[in-house]
Amino acid sequence: MALLPALDTDPKINAFRAEVRAWIAKHWTPERRAEHRKLPFKLRGWDPQFSREMGKDGWIGIGWPREYGGQARSPSEQIAFVEEMANAGCPVQAHNTGESIVAQALIGHGSPEQQAEWLTAIRGGERSFALGYSEPDAGSDLAGLRTKAVQDGDHWVVNGQKLWSTGGDKSEYVWLAVRTDGEVKKHAGISVLMVNLRSPGITIRPSMAMYGRTFSAVFYDNVRVPACNMVGKVNGGWKVITDALAAERVMIGGSRMAGLQRAFDHLTEHVKTATAGGKALRSDPLVRDRIGALAADLEVARQLLIRNTTMVEQGRVPLYEAAVSKVFTSELQERMGQASLDILGTGGLLSEDAASAPLGEMEQLLRHSIMGMIGGGTNEIQRNVIALRSLGMPR
Amino acid sequence: MVHSHSSQAGADGLSDADRQLLRDSTRDFLASRWPSASAMERVGDAAAVTALWRDMAAQGLSALGADPAEGGLREIMLVFEELGRAACPAPLLGAVIANMALAGAGKAAEPLQQDLRMGKAIVAASLGAFDGDAGAGKVACRDGKIDGMVAFVEGSLGATQHLVFTESPAGVALVDAGAAAVSIRETPGLAVPSLAEITFAQATAVSIPVAAGRLRDIALMARVACAARALGAAQRAFELAVEHAKVRKQFGEFIGSFQAVQHKLANCLISLEGTQLVLRNVGESHDKGSEDWRVFAAAALAFAGPALREVSVQTHRALGAIGYAEEHEAPRHFRRVHADLARFGGAPRSRAELADYLLGPLA
Repeated sequence: MALLPALDTDPKINAFRAEVRAWIAKHWTPERRAEHRKLPFKLRGWDPQFSREMGKDGWIGIGWPREYGGQARSPSEQIAFVEEMANAGCPVQAHNTGESIVAQALIGHGSPEQQAEWLTAIRGGERSFALGYSEPDAGSDLAGLRTKAVQDGDHWVVNGQKLWSTGGDKSEYVWLAVRTDGEVKKHAGISVLMVNLRSPGITIRPSMAMYGRTFSAVFYDNVRVPACNMVGKVNGGWKVITDALAAERVMIGGSRMAGLQRAFDHLTEHVKTATAGGKALRSDPLVRDRIGALAADLEVARQLLIRNTTMVEQGRVPLYEAAVSKVFTSELQERMGQASLDILGTGGLLSEDAASAPLGEMEQLLRHSIMGMIGGGTNEIQRNVIALRSLGMPR
Repeated sequence: MVHSHSSQAGADGLSDADRQLLRDSTRDFLASRWPSASAMERVGDAAAVTALWRDMAAQGLSALGADPAEGGLREIMLVFEELGRAACPAPLLGAVIANMALAGAGKAAEPLQQDLRMGKAIVAASLGAFDGDAGAGKVACRDGKIDGMVAFVEGSLGATQHLVFTESPAGVALVDAGAAAVSIRETPGLAVPSLAEITFAQATAVSIPVAAGRLRDIALMARVACAARALGAAQRAFELAVEHAKVRKQFGEFIGSFQAVQHKLANCLISLEGTQLVLRNVGESHDKGSEDWRVFAAAALAFAGPALREVSVQTHRALGAIGYAEEHEAPRHFRRVHADLARFGGAPRSRAELADYLLGPLA
């Protein structure tokens, strides 16, 4: 490993890491990894069978309270878990959204019946979710969404269109934000429905996002959704959506950080051994300078993540702090991708599908960085949050 | 010095509560003794600096670095941060370097140690061959005499004693400031007060052996302390800019309501908080006895250099022409930030140190 020293962590967390690694060694075997690597990139990371195995052994929802079947693991332990899974390249995307976003919301706002059914299914790796938030005219201004749901007996009837839904073509359900009142202030007329994506009236059009996986446009044409699938009160959806965000951002930060550390480790290992024009790459002063700068930035990203985790552990909500971390780390991913092109030269353009690529994962890292800077609220919106909430700038 | 009174302190030195007390008392002290309103005119006033130093000694601050139980790197950084905030030229860097280098040196060092504690001595320290800047110069020390030139020395104003790191033998040489064969030349520039060049021509010196590894560690702590001082200055300038953005109106609006200004200030906050967190980790790692503190220090210095310099520039852009007048407080912070972060090889050296750690040193 060519990384900065590990931070002095709790022996309890190191013991937990060992436990996780032992499970991974048994279930995500080298043979299985090799099989998974043979899949085209767009299909990797999503493996319902693996999600069910994790669920069976209790590894989904480890941060949930015990009364909901979780292990009540601390945020530090959850981050450690996310890191171990990422380092081993485990495919966790089939259950990720359900586990971290939907379940958070159900625990806070779901009825006992919903919790009994849906949390059990999510925990077992049996129910996958896509997010249905953005629309053609509602991106950064999410509360401006217009997809409409009208009550009809014990159903809601949904009409409208959603965009950029990651996993929309693979998931069974969508966590859908809809307008249930168009007469009130925009935040006050939103509700959340869990919608089976196989329902009549739904059309899913996947397209390829630049990072190499699909996202989908989803059209709703008189789609009937059972009323018992609404989470929270009618028109109470904004709180349901935002409550789940803070803790979830910290976890997303954890997995992004793990990915960056892994990529940087590979980059430095490459630089240590590779040559360019007959000279050792590691002896190039410009290369050394870039590597040093990235290492310093990674250390900052790590400290920002630790601050968020500590705050969540203390029961505080990292509002602007999560925004600080998101902006810094996603932009660091972009810098790391750009630096790789400078360090690897034109070879850095080659993907892992090119046999002669010096380090094929780096161009993917660069393409993926755009998603980090836009998804989950653009970095411009995050900067607004920092200016308004932390600095008290006038609106 | 604030003595530990909390059960949490133990082997780690002071507790967080103690440190908060130290921060508050230092800030209050500097606000009353070195108020920003008169800081500008007093910056070159040797008598004022000498009087201030006596008062700091009475607060226990001149003993920082002498005894880790009374204050480790965390406390040193904290006080430097406050000096930065206050744009105060107190000669603490020389004192801290001397206290650390002379700890355990025996009888020869005792008079200076005592004078430092009392605030009678003002030390101008030079790291010589351990400085990290190619132009910093060095001295040769033989048979009680030193020769050579050192540059970029801070704190020569009112100095009673020079302390110079020597390579062979590894140690420090102490020279009375009034000694014959010592000449001091101010070198004006971005740094205020000015740095100085000191030439020794067969000057009488007391030579005290200190292991080279220890000298390197002290030099690294001096770099970290200066980065903390730059952080304090950048933070204070940023606060001025934030306040300005809330009261200054243009086009009928508070300028803080413009996203161009909001995003600029948000970027500054990210850099300031990032620097604060990585520096804090350096202090904690060091004081808890982790070997890794040196790598964390390299990371913190490599980040702080470009990040705080950018904060300094961007706060000026938010302040506009109002902050561009030398009588405004902001230019002092701009000067401090740039001077402290360019010293000792600056960020390029720290990036090289990180590369050494990750890729192995160059042959």
